[in-house]
Amino acid sequence: MSDFRTPYPGYDVLAKWASPSWNDQTRQVVRERLLNIPRPRFFNEAEWSVLTALCDRIIPQPERAEPVPIAPFIDAALFEGRGTGTRFAEMPPDGAAWRQGLAALDAEAALRFGGRFAGLTAERQDAIIAAAVAGDVTAPAWEGLPPRRFMRGLVLLEIVAIYYAHPAAQSEIGFGGSTSPRGYVRLDAGRFDPWEAGPGIWPDREP
Amino acid sequence: MVQYRSPCRGSRVRRPDPPHGTAGVRDGAGLGTVLLLAGLGLFAGAVLAEPAPVAPDPSLRNLRRGATILAGSVMADSAMEHFQGSYHNPAMYVGPMAAAGTMLATLRGGDRNRASAARTMQGAATMIGLMGLGFHGYNILKRPGGLSWNNLFYAAPVGAPGALALAGVLGLGERRMAGSRGPERREDGRILGGVVGASLLVTTAEIALLHFRGAFHNPAMFVPVTIPPAAGAALCLAGLRRPEAARRHRLARALLHLTALLGPVGTAFHAFGVSREMGGWANWRQSLLSGPPMPAPASLTGLALPGLAALREIEGGMDE
Amino acid sequence: MTGAVGTVSRDAEEHPRAVEGRAPDVFSRDGFVPMRQWPEEEPVDFAIVGTGCGGGIAAAKLAQAGFSVVAFDAGPFWRPLADFASDEREQDKLYWLDERISGGNDPISLGSHNSGRCVGGTTVHFQMVALRFRPEWFAARSRLGYGVDWPVDWRVMWKYYAEVERACSISGPVRYPWGPPRGRYPYRAHPVNAAGLVLARGAEALGVPWSPMPVATVSAPRGKSPPCAYRGMCKIGCSTNAKQSILITYIPRALAAGAEIRDLAMVARVETGRDGRVCGLHYHRGGQWRYQRARNVIVAGYAIETPRLLLNSASPQHPQGLANSSGTVGRHLMVHSNHAVWGEFDEEIRFYKGPPLLAVCEHWNYADGDPSRDFDGGYAIMSQGPLPIDYASCLVSNTGVFGTELRRRMALYNRMAGLKIVGETLPQPENRVTLAEETDGFGIPKAHVSFSYCENDKRLFRHSLRFMDRMLRAAGGRNLYESEATAHLMGGCRMGHGPDDSVTDSDGRTWDVPNLFVCDGSLMPTGGGVNSSMTIMANSARIADRLVALGKRGEL
Ligand SMILES: Cc1cc2nc3c(=O)[nH]c(=O)nc-3n(C[C@H](O)[C@H](O)[C@H](O)COP(=O)(O)OP(=O)(O)OC[C@H]3O[C@@H](n4cnc5c(N)ncnc54)[C@H](O)[C@@H]3O)c2cc1C
Ligand code: SF4
Repeated sequence: MSDFRTPYPGYDVLAKWASPSWNDQTRQVVRERLLNIPRPRFFNEAEWSVLTALCDRIIPQPERAEPVPIAPFIDAALFEGRGTGTRFAEMPPDGAAWRQGLAALDAEAALRFGGRFAGLTAERQDAIIAAAVAGDVTAPAWEGLPPRRFMRGLVLLEIVAIYYAHPAAQSEIGFGGSTSPRGYVRLDAGRFDPWEAGPGIWPDREP
Repeated sequence: MVQYRSPCRGSRVRRPDPPHGTAGVRDGAGLGTVLLLAGLGLFAGAVLAEPAPVAPDPSLRNLRRGATILAGSVMADSAMEHFQGSYHNPAMYVGPMAAAGTMLATLRGGDRNRASAARTMQGAATMIGLMGLGFHGYNILKRPGGLSWNNLFYAAPVGAPGALALAGVLGLGERRMAGSRGPERREDGRILGGVVGASLLVTTAEIALLHFRGAFHNPAMFVPVTIPPAAGAALCLAGLRRPEAARRHRLARALLHLTALLGPVGTAFHAFGVSREMGGWANWRQSLLSGPPMPAPASLTGLALPGLAALREIEGGMDE
Repeated sequence: MTGAVGTVSRDAEEHPRAVEGRAPDVFSRDGFVPMRQWPEEEPVDFAIVGTGCGGGIAAAKLAQAGFSVVAFDAGPFWRPLADFASDEREQDKLYWLDERISGGNDPISLGSHNSGRCVGGTTVHFQMVALRFRPEWFAARSRLGYGVDWPVDWRVMWKYYAEVERACSISGPVRYPWGPPRGRYPYRAHPVNAAGLVLARGAEALGVPWSPMPVATVSAPRGKSPPCAYRGMCKIGCSTNAKQSILITYIPRALAAGAEIRDLAMVARVETGRDGRVCGLHYHRGGQWRYQRARNVIVAGYAIETPRLLLNSASPQHPQGLANSSGTVGRHLMVHSNHAVWGEFDEEIRFYKGPPLLAVCEHWNYADGDPSRDFDGGYAIMSQGPLPIDYASCLVSNTGVFGTELRRRMALYNRMAGLKIVGETLPQPENRVTLAEETDGFGIPKAHVSFSYCENDKRLFRHSLRFMDRMLRAAGGRNLYESEATAHLMGGCRMGHGPDDSVTDSDGRTWDVPNLFVCDGSLMPTGGGVNSSMTIMANSARIADRLVALGKRGEL
């Protein structure tokens, strides 16, 4: 199912690592992110297996031998109590919401397909995720946790925040990456600086 | 505790930290950079070069130097500006090339064998410059906002190609003057004075526009919008005097000398401006384009020297 | 309270930097400037809670007038050149990430959407849009028939807009198409990036005016600020120092004038004496609780923390909370609706370049007579430039897309452009801040924020969605989708004409307590259809001048 193709093959924001586009503090942050993958401390084993399966379906990366790690950073943020500034009144606190939500996904898997979430086929996992995103789930384990809010207001947000913080993800969308001290000169449509990604490959566009 | 495979084995951080200060010169150089460097080299050569073999009189020497410097300034400036515009239209190569052409023609075209080729080149530069004015005007008008301050600030510089045309005209003028004598020569001087004087006024308008864009954030930015127009006006007035009343024009001369000085001084200020961009000179690939244009101030010298030549003729070669 | 969030300069998040007679030099990587310090036991003339638009300006202007001033901020004292990375996740450290509870029918997202926590306040990560209110909005009730009137005349505000625009070197267009004439902006407008030109094309196609945006980042050098490098990361902090935040404008001026800034100092309670006047404040700094005596207290913690602090400062003299005898503290909280339309374009727009909002259409703030207009208030339309995580968040929370389809849609990032409104919402008493049962790490009750749109708010944003849809299509956008969000906070301690339905008078002086003042965004009686900071700053500069005048007359 590797039908994702980046429009910018060969472009890598890290190629500018030694250029004026990167300053020391950004190098420090990204080096830390790439080298020090936190070990899980917050979730238990059962939760962890649902979480990793969930991350794999939200951001499938079949083309990568070494997928961008996501679950470890979710775990670390919860373990460190890194907040988001918001808790919706209808939701439990973040950590409790994650725990309950992962358990509810497992319960939903049992209810619909009679198995553990992590053991289901990709299609079935997707069906459960889509149902939760639409608020269309039935397992009693969701009691007190609005599924739509949980998925859209917490799970998806956290996963994209971690994935698109990674240089590999930024490269695949042709983002300019780090920009200090050097920023950009050419601001018009279809124009770019030599230190940006070249023009993308767009199958829907006549050359 | 959960066991899991580190997804980051075989780390992607292949490049070690660079030592301080070496970052910056690593990425490959673009075509524009090459042109830019070539332009600066040629420009330096032009300024230092010996005048052509036949030793011309001081007026001709100044005229030729001025035309050369002006062409060099236009060449480097348009190479950079068009590089910033990514040379997205092949016609954008024409401007810097025409400027280089007329510069060489003026510099080397003194001997008889090459005279007609040089004249053709200078005439072509004049035509291309005039067409460029149309191109730049169209570029401004077609953007959303049309004839607006922001488009005048940031779209193609409205008057710049005029300087190319002028470089061509000055080159042709030198050729013409070399062949004229006596009252005819004096008449040529007056015409030249008018052309240069008017050009100084137009150039001032362009400088004023760009320094206004920079909010005159440094009081020194007012200098090039006060001295050159005064010099231009004084030169025009000098040319209007009847030749019988030949006399010295001390004020005009002093102002033209100051204007000539503004070339190097302005360049130094612009270099300082580039250093004040984020990252300064270490980030030259951005700073040179987004900071004040380094090659631009030289054009004032390029105008002032022909202005001095014109003044000398108007005065009837009085310093001899 | 959250621990250190960032990887870089964790020290600044954990240990106060403005100590021992010096404060960080914000224009250096590791330098300091001298700072005057005031003892805790002796009452200072003004203790100020918060150092954003309100607190920062008040601190600078009052210190310049010769008062002794100590300003507290719960957040760190950053040096942008060394502490800010080009990384969205790292820069979460700029936001107020402590948990707040958000309820109501349309609960709002907090944190990165509207609240900063650092010296300089929310302006350190604001997007620099520097617009003025429409003059009629200061008399919304009597001239336009909705909301309430401000206790301030627009002409006075106009004068102070000019003052703060000068102080922050706003780069703006030579001629601004809407409203009465304003003097020339100190700096010229920036070039409009491709995303802004999308708005321009759409506006020209629909026959409405547009303008380059006036923004608080310089287009030419200014003092130690280099010009904007168009790196587009303004929302996560400007490591160029081109952005004219309060941190690099008013804070250095406040320090130079003798004010003391205490970073990482969370104020928990304002203390009242037996006479009912305030006499000092309790704050937490360097691992311990401390007390600062003060002759006057100015609360400037923004629309959630200001009410929270006042409510948490209840005492026998003020049982409902400080300055709350009318029950108005925390009420009339407003946001800006932030509905948007996004579309794909043939060309690569690359909206990550340049300050994110470089073009604006204020048509619907001024077009009173238009027959399609079915709402009170107004909205401004702005071009967009979210960074990848910001954009991905908008995409997933509004569409719920996931899987390969999510990656595919994110890969269109460089071809997207969007239009977003800053839409006025009406002041409603039930949109409010209260104290929750739960407490935070300091033992202070958490804020509970309740928000619901009223029918007028909904008519307004629906109107805007229809209009932006046409605009984006006219500019060449395809496969459009809509998103909703909110931004900015206003109100919560509004100023007004009388003690029954407002918290302070026009000087920011609370009706109940003569030596307690409010000076920040929470004073705003109505929200208007433009971003809030310039109005908050102008109002704060005005209040500071009033305080100086009152002081001269001995009326403090
Ligand atoms: C992402 C974003 C983009 C924005 N973009 C724009 C824009 O483009 N244009 C515009 O006009 N506006 C914009 N705004 C809004 C604008 O920044 C705010 O309206 C404005 O800064 C509010 O000023 P303030 O002084 O009221 O509060 P703030 O600037 O938030 O200052 C309050 C300060 O008080 C401190 N504080 C609070 N409580 C306490 C306490 N108890 N003890 C100690 N310290 C405390 C906080 O740490 C904070 O630093 C934006 C806001 C955000 C979040
Ligand atoms: S775009 Fe300009 S203001 Fe924004 S972060 Fe970059 S340099 Fe600063």
